[in-house]
Amino acid sequence: MRHRSRLVNVLERAESGPIMKEADFERRLVTPAIKKAVETYGIEFDDSTLVPNDDDLADRIFQAGLEVAAETGMFCQDTSRRIAFTRRELEEGLRFCPGEVTMGAGTDAVVARAREPEVAERPILVGGAYGVPFPEDLFVPVMLSFAKESVVDVIENATLETVYGKPIKAASPWEVIGGWREAELSMEVIGRAGRPGMCIGCVETSPTALAEISASSWGGFRPTDWHHVSTVSELKTNYDLLAKVAHINRIGGVMESYYNPIYGGYVGGAEGVAVAVVAGSILMNQVTMAHTISTRPDHPFLGCNTTPELMWAMSVGVQALSRNTNLLVGTLVGPAGGPGTRTVLYELAAYALSMTVSGVAVLEASHTAGGAVPRHVSGLEAKMCGEVMRATSGMSRAEANELVMRLNSIYGPDLETKPIGKPFEEVYDVVNVEPTSEWRGLYDEVWDELVDMGVPLDALV
Amino acid sequence: MNHRPRLVEVLYRAETGPIIEEAAFERTLVTPTIRAAVEHYGIKFDEETAVNSDDDLADRVFQAGFDVARDVGLFCQDTSRRIVWTQKELEAGLRYCPSEVTFGLGVDTVTLRTRTPEDTNRVGIVGGAYGVPVPEEMYVPLALSYLKEPIFDSVDNPSLETVYGHPIKAGTAWEVLGARREAELALLAAGMVGRSGIPLGCVEMSPTQLGALAGASWGGYRPSDWHHVSTLSEFKVNHDTLSIATHIARIGGALEAYYNPIYGGYVGGAEGVAVAIVAGLILINQTYVAQVYNTRPNHPFYNCDTTRELIWATGLGIQALARNTNLITETLVGPAGGPGTKTMLYENAAFTLATTVSGQSAMTASHSAGGAVPRHASGLDAKICGETVHASSGKTRGEANEIVNRLIALYESDLETNPKGQPFEEVYDQDTIEPTPEWQGLYDEVREEVIGMGLPMDRMVW
Amino acid sequence: MSTYEELVGDMVDVLLGDDPDEVVTWAESVLEGGVAAVDFFNKVFTPAMAQIGDKFAALDIFLPELIDSAERAQAISKDVLEPIFEAEDSGAQISRGTIVICTVQGDLHDIGKNMVSLMLQVNGFDVIDMGINVPPRLALDKAKEVDADILGLSALMTTSQPYMKECVELRDGFGMKDQFAIIVGGAPITAEYTAQIGADAFGKSAVEAVEKCFALMEER
Repeated sequence: MRHRSRLVNVLERAESGPIMKEADFERRLVTPAIKKAVETYGIEFDDSTLVPNDDDLADRIFQAGLEVAAETGMFCQDTSRRIAFTRRELEEGLRFCPGEVTMGAGTDAVVARAREPEVAERPILVGGAYGVPFPEDLFVPVMLSFAKESVVDVIENATLETVYGKPIKAASPWEVIGGWREAELSMEVIGRAGRPGMCIGCVETSPTALAEISASSWGGFRPTDWHHVSTVSELKTNYDLLAKVAHINRIGGVMESYYNPIYGGYVGGAEGVAVAVVAGSILMNQVTMAHTISTRPDHPFLGCNTTPELMWAMSVGVQALSRNTNLLVGTLVGPAGGPGTRTVLYELAAYALSMTVSGVAVLEASHTAGGAVPRHVSGLEAKMCGEVMRATSGMSRAEANELVMRLNSIYGPDLETKPIGKPFEEVYDVVNVEPTSEWRGLYDEVWDELVDMGVPLDALV
Repeated sequence: MNHRPRLVEVLYRAETGPIIEEAAFERTLVTPTIRAAVEHYGIKFDEETAVNSDDDLADRVFQAGFDVARDVGLFCQDTSRRIVWTQKELEAGLRYCPSEVTFGLGVDTVTLRTRTPEDTNRVGIVGGAYGVPVPEEMYVPLALSYLKEPIFDSVDNPSLETVYGHPIKAGTAWEVLGARREAELALLAAGMVGRSGIPLGCVEMSPTQLGALAGASWGGYRPSDWHHVSTLSEFKVNHDTLSIATHIARIGGALEAYYNPIYGGYVGGAEGVAVAIVAGLILINQTYVAQVYNTRPNHPFYNCDTTRELIWATGLGIQALARNTNLITETLVGPAGGPGTKTMLYENAAFTLATTVSGQSAMTASHSAGGAVPRHASGLDAKICGETVHASSGKTRGEANEIVNRLIALYESDLETNPKGQPFEEVYDQDTIEPTPEWQGLYDEVREEVIGMGLPMDRMVW
Repeated sequence: MSTYEELVGDMVDVLLGDDPDEVVTWAESVLEGGVAAVDFFNKVFTPAMAQIGDKFAALDIFLPELIDSAERAQAISKDVLEPIFEAEDSGAQISRGTIVICTVQGDLHDIGKNMVSLMLQVNGFDVIDMGINVPPRLALDKAKEVDADILGLSALMTTSQPYMKECVELRDGFGMKDQFAIIVGGAPITAEYTAQIGADAFGKSAVEAVEKCFALMEER
């Protein structure tokens, strides 16, 4: 990939950049830089417009984020140094970012392309259990519940709770073998789904660099799979993550880098999250040289990103990036609701609508029930996102905003109640990998409601 | 590989075995256990005998090593626990160990088989600079000095001093890049001589597990290459080394595990080293589920394994294993002498002759100048070992003993003078990859001498 | 003189105010005004910190303000209250005990652990924070070295939980069971898991962690 020649330069900067204490980086640099940028560019959250239709606002947020990125850089925890770039370098990094990437192999390959707000071309849909902990015997059924849905382009793995019945211990051979177990089970999933070249999000069970590096090798995950490198909130990286970057770079792998700002944390409120999304994405593109750049902001107590503040922040953050860069922007939904609830379906529909019209290139679902409750996720969640995404590609932001506001008013009061719903094995027949009639019934009811609201899910083209 | 299903059990024992302090493991367990076994089995170094011919002694050394393996186990540094096995488990581990392994690809494939002392079956020959530090620009020329010699079945790698001019920092992305750089240079060199499928010893640049994992992946080193995992002296492993063994098992790679006891350390003298070699190799077969087991004992002050005591101990340890197990064993020579010295050529010939007639399956060479002096290694250093292997086929241990004794007498007094010789760039033409006339001349002189001693390096068949 | 309720309100204001140096002079002036140090600690300081905690729980303030408040509270504790208690030799103790705290190996998350550390500090514990990604042996050696009362272990990743178990096993295996207690916490940790690995206590939130540490100290 054309921009990956930067790798040695990035690593060199992690060894030689300005020295700083980690606590000072966040408190004395990130917090004030974001606060100042929010003020300078007059960015203000408006709870009556969760999908803003204000290009100038989006462009101001982009400028604010670019400024923050140039001011803070990314902090390397292991060297206590900032990996810093000039504004010019960051701009050049954006100018020559990938803009398009092929994920997967053969007839199962899909192409993600940079989008803009309101364009008719549709995003890629990634469906999966996104790190939700699962026992080994349910891994294949839950992942098949995503892989079997035609609307899903790429799958993303659950996290294994054990490996051959034993605990998976980070930074040990158990992590290595856990990564391999994930790979072998994933291959079974795509094989059974008849989609052997399908791109797989991996390695989920990789708390350090070990599993990603080991299991992305001969006989394991392939360069055509979708390899992940996270960012530590806020705007931090470390040797483990950079080692993953180096490895994926060298095997020629497709890479997703992600950054999840914490609402109410060092970046502040909704405005700060929007700016942080932009700054973080720009910095990830520069540091990790990923193909797709993703975000999944988090509410510190509700564990979701479907609150009004975060829906707004994600929408304007994505608009800022999609209007001003060719980054392949992705967002992961983290609904508070879980499988078997109406809440989750409303949250997912609102999210998919908002993100599609805001210009994401990759729509990712789902961190159901906040993404941390064991076994609480199922294929229908991603399907809802995919159906809404297909039906609303090309819709105007104003129209989407009305729908999102309506949906938000329906699910909003539920968020505080943490409606985690039911575990996978209670909403799906795990042998046939079909939703139970109850769950399917709820899905169909909400589907009909959405059609009535004006989301054309029933259109055939 | 048939014994690899044991791996998960190995990892589990590292989490659940008896807890002990690392220092107590070595001082209160390893040392007394080896000492008791040496006494119990009446093992005694004989300075007149460099190459043992006493089968009973070899079998007693095997029993002693087996007892030590059973009573000590391996210590896992990260969990402060011992990985222990019962007598029956160790016996089963040996009974079903791999006795034959194929490395490499296509026409460059090589097969190693278990041997017995004085066996005339073919011995594999691995040449390489074995972790000797080299600058990036010298990597390919040095590797070519081995690759161009048809005598080698496989080559091992030197260690890079830098990656794209930057220091290689252990446990970081730099280690990942260093390993990938090593792989790209090693594959480039192998391709240049038309031996792209040759098994490459790897990953040298792996101070932690990162290099070994990242280097052995898509586009890098292949499962068919010759992957290494170390043991920490004495009898210790850790999460890094176990992760490497796990990774290689999962990519279906061929693995060489090695253990290098230290003479005069916790294992004691020559007798203790011989017993430790047996115990260590039995334990790493059990733990790393590798294909090939290597040893390269070390003298703590000369950094070599060519002293009289160590040649005796290494040969004896190999005999003990070759007579009593199907393990595929090999030894790495670590001469005190370096390139451009006669000392080194004598040392390498003596060590190789001793370990080959003792029953090793492959000879690996050479840790020239002790293996740690930057740039002090060259293709001819290992070629003498290859020629010795070929010429020693059919020799008895008694015949070998005479020759080895003569060779030791020629170099013994040099060992303490640290005869490290000259760096690679002074003994080889860097463009043509040919030895300088001086170095080739010395080599030819020693070769003639050795032929004169009764080793037929000049015969056409072996 | 202001009521205690008013003083609590005043303290919250200075904790969240613009001037970081104001807290110490403010606390000194309150004590000079006739409030006993012990009363100040129990009836002003502690409820004010509880209010700060509540404000963060409602996200009326954000993390940076919470940290500023904790640091300022610590300044009151160290610079104002501690010298008085020591001089009075009143038996009133500021240090409730020594706690070594860390996020265990394989886990780089620090926000939750930092919050617990802050809350323990403002509640009078001497806290030695070893940071993140700490191997079991280092944590145990440190606890032994500083003669800690409690070792606090945090993990946000299921893949780091085994290191908690290992800490307990090695503490017991090396004969240190009676020397210090082990408390565990973090998103995936449950009371059942705590019992299963033989740890001495579990805190499901920063507030509960403090309560449990008090309880552990009483048992000692």
